[in-house]
Amino acid sequence: MRLRTFNYFFKEAFISLIRNRWMSLASIGAVASALIILGSFLLISVNFDHILKDVESQVEITAYLEDTVDSIGITRLNSQISSISGVKEVKFISKEAALEEFKQQVGKDLLEGIDNPLPNSFRIKVDNPQNVASVAGEIQNLKGVEEVKYGKGVVEKLFNIIYWIRLLGLVIMVVFAAVSIFIISNTIRLTVFARRREINIMKYIGATDWFVRWPFLIEGMVLGFIGSAIAIGILAGGYVYLYNIVKLNIPMISLIPMEEFYNYALGFLAIGMFIGAFGSSFSIRRFLHV
Amino acid sequence: MIEMFGVSKVYPGGLDALKDINLKISRGEFVFIVGPSGAGKSTFIKLLFREELPTRGQIFFNGKNITRMRNRDIPFLRRRIGIVFQDFRLLPEKTAYENVAFAMEVVEASSREIRRKVPQVLERVGLSHKADAKPSELSGGEQQRVALARALVNEPDVLVADEPTGNLDPDTSWEIMKLLSDINKRGTTVVVATHARELVNAMRKRVLQLDKGRLVRDEERGVYSNEA
Repeated sequence: MRLRTFNYFFKEAFISLIRNRWMSLASIGAVASALIILGSFLLISVNFDHILKDVESQVEITAYLEDTVDSIGITRLNSQISSISGVKEVKFISKEAALEEFKQQVGKDLLEGIDNPLPNSFRIKVDNPQNVASVAGEIQNLKGVEEVKYGKGVVEKLFNIIYWIRLLGLVIMVVFAAVSIFIISNTIRLTVFARRREINIMKYIGATDWFVRWPFLIEGMVLGFIGSAIAIGILAGGYVYLYNIVKLNIPMISLIPMEEFYNYALGFLAIGMFIGAFGSSFSIRRFLHV
Repeated sequence: MIEMFGVSKVYPGGLDALKDINLKISRGEFVFIVGPSGAGKSTFIKLLFREELPTRGQIFFNGKNITRMRNRDIPFLRRRIGIVFQDFRLLPEKTAYENVAFAMEVVEASSREIRRKVPQVLERVGLSHKADAKPSELSGGEQQRVALARALVNEPDVLVADEPTGNLDPDTSWEIMKLLSDINKRGTTVVVATHARELVNAMRKRVLQLDKGRLVRDEERGVYSNEA
């Protein structure tokens, strides 16, 4: 493609953007709202993921052993637990070590003078938090295990929430994307209609379909690009604002800093432009046949 | 250059626009296609342009069977054919110069070539002095000259004119016909669909007469109608 041809495409695209400015604005608004919603859900779910990872790493199974289990039994249990599928790490905590830990947590020796009441235990980490419940169940059935504890319910609930957030986000996003495509395709249809004579002449002179198509595609992509740029701006501003509020007021929740999302911005621009191109290719098609 | 073998066109709905047309137009000829409205003149031009496909038969252009041409090759066929319409079909917001240049932009000519050739072809149709005028500032005859310049600027093998004088007064029509004749003398094949009786009779060129979709007469140095 020659440079002057490329210039011509852009010139034509911008002329009709301005000619149909109200429809152009509507299209930009539609793309922006679709992407703002997509972006919000994305930010929420990525952050939830992040928080969940924190929680996950804290979720481990503790299996308390009966006092009757001797050191041979401990070794046997260790290998039994290790062989359960999904178990990533097994760590033995002796009575004494447990007491040490307890002292450190409490800060002073409350139990001084009495017999160590803490049992021997294993701390087990699993490869996938979704396996926690089943692994715990299996350990419970092993002989010599008195009690099994883990953050029951918390993990499952978080997973559920994330799942629904993602699904909801996706559904709303698809609806809004469809609305954007519809509005853009109507905008471009106006342009195409206003220029059907010109298109007709171009086809008679021997313009290729792509030559006719490009200005309209560019028009659609520019609409999508501006819309997504606006969405990115609003999302970034809003996120930084929220991030600072959360950081000040709820320090135990660690949100992902904005910088981590810069990669998504490109993806957003791409999605916006794709919506635009798709919307316009929709309305050019039937005018091309001459 | 243009050959048709057993070409028929039936439009959906059963209208027989053309029936079993066989003809040959050679390079450098000047041909009138005459006949009343609805005789099939427009269909003939549409087939030539591959705007429509014939229902039956084969059409060859420069030895190539255009009925078997892929869609993506159609633009390149059309670049070999210049076309002029009754209603000129100029872009109203562009000047005469820009309208002609547009035809070159569409086929992606270089700007140097455009700057060289547009003034040449405007001079050839006698409109150099109106290069910066918009169509609304031009008379009908002048607009048709711009359209002719646009059709010629890419140096087509054939110039096809569909009722080129339909909207023009007799004097202006004469000028356009003379121009078409000049263009033909300089080597371009010219096909003119018309029902301008006087012009056809005066020019004494080859006449193809269509009637209800049939080619009823093919006469060298013919007149508009033998019956009249």
